[in-house]
Amino acid sequence: MKPKKHSPLLNRTEPYLWILPSVLLMSIFIIVPIGCVFYMAFSKISKAGIVKGFNGIENFSKVLGSKAFSVVLSNTLVWTVVVVGLSTVLGFILALLLNNKFKGRKIARAIIVFPWATTLVIQACAWKFIIDTDYGALNTLLKSLGIISSNVNWTPTPGAYFAWEIACGIFVTIPFVCFTALSGLQSIDNSFYEAATVDGGNYWQQLFHITLPLVKPSLTVATVLNIIYVFNSFPIVWTITKGDPANRTDTLVTYLYKLAFYNGKQGEAAAVSVIGFLILLVCASLYMVSALKKGDE
Amino acid sequence: MMVESRRINRKKALLRILLYFVVFDICLFTLYPYFVMLTTALKSRPEIFSMNGKIFPIQAVWSNFVDIWQKAPMAKYMLNSMVIATGSTIIAMLCGIPAAYALARMKFKGQTAFLGFIIVSQMFAPVVLLIGIYKVMQFFKLTDSLLGLIFINAAFNQAFTIWLLRGTFLSISPEMEQAATIDGCNRVQALLRVLLPVAAPGIVTTLIFIFINAWNEYTVALCLISSDTLKPLTVGINIFNGYNMIEWQYLFAASLFAIMPVVILFMSIEKNLTSGLTAGGVKG
Repeated sequence: MKPKKHSPLLNRTEPYLWILPSVLLMSIFIIVPIGCVFYMAFSKISKAGIVKGFNGIENFSKVLGSKAFSVVLSNTLVWTVVVVGLSTVLGFILALLLNNKFKGRKIARAIIVFPWATTLVIQACAWKFIIDTDYGALNTLLKSLGIISSNVNWTPTPGAYFAWEIACGIFVTIPFVCFTALSGLQSIDNSFYEAATVDGGNYWQQLFHITLPLVKPSLTVATVLNIIYVFNSFPIVWTITKGDPANRTDTLVTYLYKLAFYNGKQGEAAAVSVIGFLILLVCASLYMVSALKKGDE
Repeated sequence: MMVESRRINRKKALLRILLYFVVFDICLFTLYPYFVMLTTALKSRPEIFSMNGKIFPIQAVWSNFVDIWQKAPMAKYMLNSMVIATGSTIIAMLCGIPAAYALARMKFKGQTAFLGFIIVSQMFAPVVLLIGIYKVMQFFKLTDSLLGLIFINAAFNQAFTIWLLRGTFLSISPEMEQAATIDGCNRVQALLRVLLPVAAPGIVTTLIFIFINAWNEYTVALCLISSDTLKPLTVGINIFNGYNMIEWQYLFAASLFAIMPVVILFMSIEKNLTSGLTAGGVKG
């Protein structure tokens, strides 16, 4: 009762025809640029961007030898760990709150989606205005409420600026964690909790023995994706400080953007890209191994 | 016994009040930047820069919302954003649907490798590859063009597209398509007439998500587009965010135009999207 007979060759190649457009698209616009970046990282490149032959690891040694780079690297690690860590904890707590049934829950969910849907550059502009010392909205608000009497300088040091950027990063990352955790929470069968209540388990026991293990897969996906996004996040730092003063608030991506498009050091910028790529590769391969393992189960 | 249950009830009521209080505060906090944008967009320039500013504008200057359309090519920016987002969505779907279908319904050598490749491709944000992307765009003569941005957005959204769609397709039983093939449909017809209509909710979620991502994209557009008339909103509105002076009232008025459409779109898909993202992840 087979409907149509294809030749065996067509049958064997058919799946590849189906994935061909996607493979082409990703090859040209992702794989080729990756190749370019690696090629440039090992090349001598003129200010005009013309490749002048093989350069060995000179770009890397220049980057690694510069004073700015160690600051940039530690900034990037602080930025990624603090933003991902805190937004995961806060997002999960928020998800636990929203998992209760209460009046207005739909409205609360709709409001909490806002930062996720807003383009980062605009969110960052709003924060830049809020924390401004002379006319910022935060000072205006606190003065109107009578909490302060004169303007407070919220950003006295580069570190303070960076802390505000981290706060903004956390603010925009929470919704994603919250909603992925929430979808995990809502798929938990209520009978688990009923059984636990009968056995006399209190709230915290239920949280650690039922809820957390069951939401773990959702939270893991969210965390891995967040590590990648946050590590690569450009607009917040770029909008608020552009990495200034003197690279004190730069992360890897803003640093390489400046190297490539402001300072005409494309070779070094490519080397920074490769270093960032290698750091992420470790994270992604860990994730891929665990994801594929689950697929086999 | 009575006292005991009353105490439990009182505790429950207290917890409930606490819950409302906390959630209400979080909502206020979340809305604060938007509140600031709106009130600032309604203030006059001298009022914004005065040292004794008030929370609300002394007198709402609604004309700010009209002025931006003359002070900057806002209509052009909006059209560009629309073209980029729509084009990226169409290309990402045209490439992604067949790939997701093959992954969900066929078995072939290299399937795991392809899935692995998709997952790895997610770790490359365009910003890390900007130098390479710039070179590729120069080769195709696509720097400073909307088409170039469309291809980049479509490519970098492929992973999500395939991920979400594969999950949707896997959740639908293949029996109906098999029945259709027995009735003489080929695979393409079975996909178009049988699977896609059933998968519509997942497809709509996916395409809105790509649309929003492309609409919100900033970094690549900032780097590739130099003509003012080709800028999307995210880059264009920075015309009010100059080095020497920032026209906050115009910047925020324009920003509100840029974020409102996508926020509303996003609310409509949020529920399907999150379950799709995690489901796709758990399934590999």
